[in-house]
Amino acid sequence: MKFKNISTIRTIVLVSLATAGLALMAGCSNNGSGSKPAAKKTAKTAAIWPLAIKDPAKTETGAQIWSENCMRCHQLRSPSQYTPAQWGVIVQYMRLKAGLTGEQARKVLAFLKSASAH
Amino acid sequence: MGKRITLPLLLAAAVAATTVGNVRAADSSNYQQLQKKYSVLKSQMQAMQQQMAHMQKQMAAQQKQMKAVQQAAPSINERATRRAIKRLSRQVMKLSEKEAALEPGNIQVLIAGDVNVQFQNKSGGNSTFYADSSPMIQVRIDKKIFVNTAFDFYTASGQAGGSAADIGAANINYELGDYMTVGGGLITSPIGGIVGNYNPAPWNRWLVDGSLEDNLLPPNELGIWTRGGIPAPDNLGYLTYFLFVSNGPEFIGTSGVPNQLSYDNFTANQNAKTVGGRISYLPIPNVEIGYSAEWASPTNSGALTKSDSWIQAVDFNSYYFNKKIEGFVKFRGGWTWEQVGQGGILPGNPTSPPAFGNNSNGGQIDVAYQPSMCGIKYLDKMMVAFRYDRTDGPVTGVQTSGAMHEQRYSVGLDYWLHSNAVLKFEYEFDNVPDQHGSDAMFMQFAVGI
Ligand code: HEC
Repeated sequence: MKFKNISTIRTIVLVSLATAGLALMAGCSNNGSGSKPAAKKTAKTAAIWPLAIKDPAKTETGAQIWSENCMRCHQLRSPSQYTPAQWGVIVQYMRLKAGLTGEQARKVLAFLKSASAH
Repeated sequence: MGKRITLPLLLAAAVAATTVGNVRAADSSNYQQLQKKYSVLKSQMQAMQQQMAHMQKQMAAQQKQMKAVQQAAPSINERATRRAIKRLSRQVMKLSEKEAALEPGNIQVLIAGDVNVQFQNKSGGNSTFYADSSPMIQVRIDKKIFVNTAFDFYTASGQAGGSAADIGAANINYELGDYMTVGGGLITSPIGGIVGNYNPAPWNRWLVDGSLEDNLLPPNELGIWTRGGIPAPDNLGYLTYFLFVSNGPEFIGTSGVPNQLSYDNFTANQNAKTVGGRISYLPIPNVEIGYSAEWASPTNSGALTKSDSWIQAVDFNSYYFNKKIEGFVKFRGGWTWEQVGQGGILPGNPTSPPAFGNNSNGGQIDVAYQPSMCGIKYLDKMMVAFRYDRTDGPVTGVQTSGAMHEQRYSVGLDYWLHSNAVLKFEYEFDNVPDQHGSDAMFMQFAVGI
């Protein structure tokens, strides 16, 4: 397969994307259904730092930490995609990627394990 | 107490005075009876006063006791509750450790990674299919030790029968505490944030092609590091850090000319090490701003020049997920400055080439929107993506490979079958001043394992 004339594709792309973009906006503007967004502000508590680190994660739930932090870099992965044991490995890795504190990681893991359908 | 006594005395005196006044008119027996009554009343009153004083004392004591009880009760309860909570959480931790130990196999292995199939057509070149499989073996040795190995097997694009393999990661990480992990080995470089955070896996990306900024960033670091996340002062969000020492970059081409640096250095043919890291701040979980830098002073053994090299980058990443926009919009961006500066002449080699300056920079802005909450079948799985990226090569001195100035606009349309399976279409508008840019079209099916 070889596209000889890339400028034709270029034009097709421009036109179709513009149309698709408009359709997308219009299609969604009147729709009222769907679930509530999970994103919420981090709970805040007083702290003296760095002498005594008070982790705000103490007041956050595992589900909250998951929904807020785990869609920053990729699509939110559903708890049912992996077994509790597999989540043990993944959270140990993602804790590093996401820069989570130990407390946050433990809470996310507890949530994912309990929500995992396996 | 004095006032209480004087009042009855005055009363008594008044009664006495009236009584005395009446005595004149009354007879003496009456007077005696009255006196008796008076003294009886007086003693009764005194008894009552004593009783009252006693009761008042009792009441005050009781009030004192009540206050003391009121003050003491909550602190006793609080302390007891706190102790009970600590005891309970210790028990829970012990139980969960036992439970973890009971899970079949303490060492847990996960095969992860990704596979992608791609078709690309770049103007001025042949269109081609391309396939890539990057398996990862992730191992949880125990709750502190994590090991990751990643491979990358791919077809060498454009070459018949060509294929290649790379090692993407080989690292061991040890958790020192809640806020710090140390590690060593080969890892995706954190410099620039965008590559390290999202780019290695195509199911993480919205567009098929990498950005021009990516070309300026070191892909890997081979060394040791410390990383973690800590709550920011006053709990205003979080800070993350990733600091490393790794093999320094090496000069490509030792034909006596100072040239491009390769940061993908597994051989360390000289002692120079790279020192660097990335810090980021997350005021809220969906906004991250990062700064990264790395420094090295590599030697070009062929040209015998030594050259300080600096890479600095800023990056940001954020998303807004709300019903108002029927889904989410994500923004990412970054800018990188690279200086391979002023190669000095090494002592004793006056004939070595003159100093050179080599500065490049580049950046990108990425936006994606997915109406994931619109409730319309198929549409809720569609994502539109846009990117502007550019790079500016050195104006003077030694030219690195690639264009001096290049900027591109890319549009993409993705269909997400699952959170880890995506069909992508992308068109890239390429602009190079005074030249024909090479526009390109990509199609990709990427799956995260
Ligand atoms: C800083 C970006 C980032 C954040 C935040 C992040 N991830 Fe990831 N995640 C990645 C990348 C990148 C990969 C692909 C693996 C790789 O390239 O190293 C990945 C892979 C995964 C995978 C695939 C399996 C695997 O282990 O590779 C799962 C599942 C996952 N992430 C879940 C999560 C969860 C749960 C969270 C929240 C705690 C999270 N991610 C937060 C970047 C991130």
